[in-house]
Amino acid sequence: MRDPGAAPERTRLAWRRTGMSAAAVALLAGRPAVHPGAGPAEWLIAGAAMGGWAALTAVALHRAPGLRARTPRPAGRAIRAYALITVAFAIIGGLVVML
Amino acid sequence: MFGGLLQWFDPESAHTEGTTPDYRFSLANERTFLAWIRTGLALIAGGLACAQFLPPLPIARLREIIAIALLVLGGLVALRAVDHWARAERAMRLGVDLPRSRFPAVLAITVAIGAVVLVGTVLHRVLA
Repeated sequence: MRDPGAAPERTRLAWRRTGMSAAAVALLAGRPAVHPGAGPAEWLIAGAAMGGWAALTAVALHRAPGLRARTPRPAGRAIRAYALITVAFAIIGGLVVML
Repeated sequence: MFGGLLQWFDPESAHTEGTTPDYRFSLANERTFLAWIRTGLALIAGGLACAQFLPPLPIARLREIIAIALLVLGGLVALRAVDHWARAERAMRLGVDLPRSRFPAVLAITVAIGAVVLVGTVLHRVLA
């Protein structure tokens, strides 16, 4: 096999890019909280968005050792958790629109 | 579409059938999943941006409708991503063809229709 480290490395970078995309989404969802006249509803939504981003980051960190292993382990629960938290972001976005 | 729903919540079942494929194939499947998640996140970001940065459109509540449509689409993309990942993983373990999907075509057409609607509203505004 040529270059055995390439696949895990590419996958690690894919996780990182995805985390950056999620950070942009979380900031957009939290943005109403820094408007003048923001109330508890906006703060709660911003808190939920930041919590969601922290959860995604935790999942990515949890996945990292499996990629570093000499024989990388395939992802299991991390995939499901990541997808479901992304769906939660869509719901948080819906709350932002409803405000 | 969500036939493999139970598989998501029983990750161990996915690792008992068939044989373990070359880890590089599993990692490629994982990267495909992450690319779809980024697509979903981009749609969600688009919905949030619509709600926050667009001026109110000439048709009542159109801005909110577009935003909600983008958010729902983003959520669907994320659900479909995990479903497709589970199916592909299972197909690789069993040594059968990878699952085929109409979803990319449906998504592309939906986004295109949305873009046409937006262009229509802009023209309506310029010409009216």
